[in-house]
Amino acid sequence: MDADSDVALDILITNVVCVFRTRCHLNLRKIALEGANVIYKRDVGKVLMKLRKPRITATIWSSGKIICTGATSEEEAKFGARRLARSLQKLGFQVIFTDFKVVNVLAVCNMPFEIRLPEFTKNNRPHASYEPELHPAVCYRIKSLRATLQIFSTGSITVTGPNVKAVATAVEQIYPFVFEITT
Amino acid sequence: MTGRVCRGCGGTDIELDAARGDAVCTACGSVLEDNIIVSEVQFVESSGGGSSAVGQFVSLDGAGKTPTLGGGFHVNLGKESRAQTLQNGRRHIHHLGNQLQLNQHCLDTAFNFFKMAVSRHLTRGRKTAHVIAACLYLVCRTEGTPHMLLDLSDLLQVNVYVLGKTFLLLARELCINAPAIDPCLYIPRFAHLLEFGEKNHEVSMTALRLLQRMKRDWMHTGRRPSGLCGAALLVAARMHDFRRTVKEVISVVKVCESTLRKRLTEFEDTPTSQLTIDEFMKIDLEEECDPPSYTAGQRKLRMKQLEQVLSKKLEEVEGEISSYQDAIEIELENSRPKAKGGLASLAKDGSAEDTASSLCGEEDTEDEELEAAASHLNKDLYRELLAATPGSSEAAGSPQWSGRPPALESLLDPLPTAASLGISDSIRECISSQSSDPNASGDGELDLSGIDDLEIDRYILNESEARVKAELWMRENAEYLREQREKEARIAKEKELGIYKEHKPKKSCKRREPIQASTAREAIEKMLEQKKISSKINYSVLRGLSSAGGGSPLREDARPEHSGSARKLSRRRTPASTSAADAVTSMGKRLRPLVSTQPAKKAATGEGLLPSSPALGAEPARPQAVLVESGPVSYHADEEAEEEEPDEEDGELCVSALQMMGGNDYGCDVDEDDGY
Repeated sequence: MDADSDVALDILITNVVCVFRTRCHLNLRKIALEGANVIYKRDVGKVLMKLRKPRITATIWSSGKIICTGATSEEEAKFGARRLARSLQKLGFQVIFTDFKVVNVLAVCNMPFEIRLPEFTKNNRPHASYEPELHPAVCYRIKSLRATLQIFSTGSITVTGPNVKAVATAVEQIYPFVFEITT
Repeated sequence: MTGRVCRGCGGTDIELDAARGDAVCTACGSVLEDNIIVSEVQFVESSGGGSSAVGQFVSLDGAGKTPTLGGGFHVNLGKESRAQTLQNGRRHIHHLGNQLQLNQHCLDTAFNFFKMAVSRHLTRGRKTAHVIAACLYLVCRTEGTPHMLLDLSDLLQVNVYVLGKTFLLLARELCINAPAIDPCLYIPRFAHLLEFGEKNHEVSMTALRLLQRMKRDWMHTGRRPSGLCGAALLVAARMHDFRRTVKEVISVVKVCESTLRKRLTEFEDTPTSQLTIDEFMKIDLEEECDPPSYTAGQRKLRMKQLEQVLSKKLEEVEGEISSYQDAIEIELENSRPKAKGGLASLAKDGSAEDTASSLCGEEDTEDEELEAAASHLNKDLYRELLAATPGSSEAAGSPQWSGRPPALESLLDPLPTAASLGISDSIRECISSQSSDPNASGDGELDLSGIDDLEIDRYILNESEARVKAELWMRENAEYLREQREKEARIAKEKELGIYKEHKPKKSCKRREPIQASTAREAIEKMLEQKKISSKINYSVLRGLSSAGGGSPLREDARPEHSGSARKLSRRRTPASTSAADAVTSMGKRLRPLVSTQPAKKAATGEGLLPSSPALGAEPARPQAVLVESGPVSYHADEEAEEEEPDEEDGELCVSALQMMGGNDYGCDVDEDDGY
């Protein structure tokens, strides 16, 4: 029954964060002047460039390190990162696309039942922590996957992990625990 | 030490006498070890005949050095760092705990938590205040006292979430499971603050029942317990005919007004709210409600479903509209050259133009309306096409699209063509090297598949646009730029004046080594070198005393070293002496007792001076050596405090001595030395 429910549960990936390097020094001022979709934050020394096609926002530092956020899948993230590198190339920098790595994946999933949080916390003591004064959700950490789940009483669960596979595994792991505490 | 071999005979039979602390070989009798550390208890006879064990109680925490030599001040001097940290922590805990009215047992437990945290290095990189607050809150949770994290953050004026983060970390690292907060814990505390007088107990009971009802109705998961308490107390108060306004309850419970109202409305939605007061006290409804956020979510789902149904109906209507749209588009294609005159020349079908012009005359009125609609539709279509890939767009509206690229290119031509030309080589390199290396991702070459260059070109501004953007940015960030310029100007000015101090990142303070000095005088010297010079010390007296003991021998032998060291001393004390002079005049009375304690030290240093300073070069003992040899210190202090003018006069006489000493500001010092 659990396996069936897993198949029925749809996990929606809302955000994929990735980093890559261009291995060349980037002149932020030039990018800021000639780019149509950039915000130049001089006080912190970075440029925010937003792409429309895969809707992503990239933070560019002058050292050549770039962080890309806002993609909805790993392939899209890579695609967006490549587009970004291409546009930097067009601006005149000798860009080399190296060290692409997906750093963080954020996903949301909905359980069709409510969850009793205080009981859940009691049963899963070391991993789960619940502070109603601070945050309405239970924070459940899976060390082996390096994933964190935030479980709300309505049944919606927010998962963050290093890649999509870890996120899926985390949801599968948490399902039996959550199922036994339903109303 | 079992298994040892005797040096003399090689025998292994060695007898260890614990009482005497010896290790003796039984074969040849040679003593192998003497004075082994023994752990015997020694007894001492006290007056009256009784005997007591010799020893001290040493605390677990510190090194055990009793800091009572100096009278109790400088408590932390001489202790090791860990002991100091723990002592500071203990002090803070007691201070905070007393404000929260925690009993001694709780404070001790909190201190234990703190000790655990320190031993696991959790205090590193965190403010001690935060860690202590977290320890205290942990105790509150485990003991079940009605203290909220909010109270602690109120006392410390720190953000609640920051404290919460530290608290969660502490609980996790120390593996302490803090039991979840029960809102019922807070009821007595808030009820007391709301002042219900005699009926306090009854109101509390009612509020507790309400809370339990709320729990069963799933209102309490994920909510601040204080908000629920507030709502329960408000209702309970009204039930017992107490007029407590929302504002009063809020000030006690520390939640927002909207939160309270929301809780009340949620409670209103439950079936329990329909019962009368008496019924409520007697009956407990069986059914349980869903949590309010769940019902809200369900409502949203229902809305979505409604929308879907609506949209389906809309689609049917849209189908009809799209057919009209197609018809309009066809008309527009024919009439476009008229609508967009500038680009008409670029349009490829010349025949279309002719037909359009012929059509124009006939369908003028129609065209005008159509034009308006068409331009509007065109814009939408254009945007859609832009969003989609060019491949698909070609299929959609090809004549329209064909009109576009030439226009775009003409617009973009003044763009960084030089740049694009310059890049073309690198692009060719990239592509060629990419083809040569099948494993492109590892080498970092840019895989250009699927990337639309034209669209990327659109992201690059041309010169005029760049200028406008630069201006905009300058205007927006004018504040920051101004600050930068001011900072640079300030640095330049300081550089000119030569006082430019570069603010390097702070180096961590090196741990000071304990002062190793053979004489007390050296010790004082070294201490003064290391520590900041205090204005309360009378350095002239210090100096005088230190050389007082060695007065006569000094006269005989040339002691350049002594004078040298004295000079060093004087130079060091130069900045202090002036302040000392001021201090003396202003706090004469205060200084006298201090000064009186110094002579004890200085007599010792004076005597110690003799062996410390070897005979060296030929500098004769200066007259001030005689002068330095001073009599009772208190006399000097009196003179200093009361007679300032004679100071100056004497200062003139001894200027030469002072100059030789190297301290020109020693008006009062010299006076002292003189007038003994």
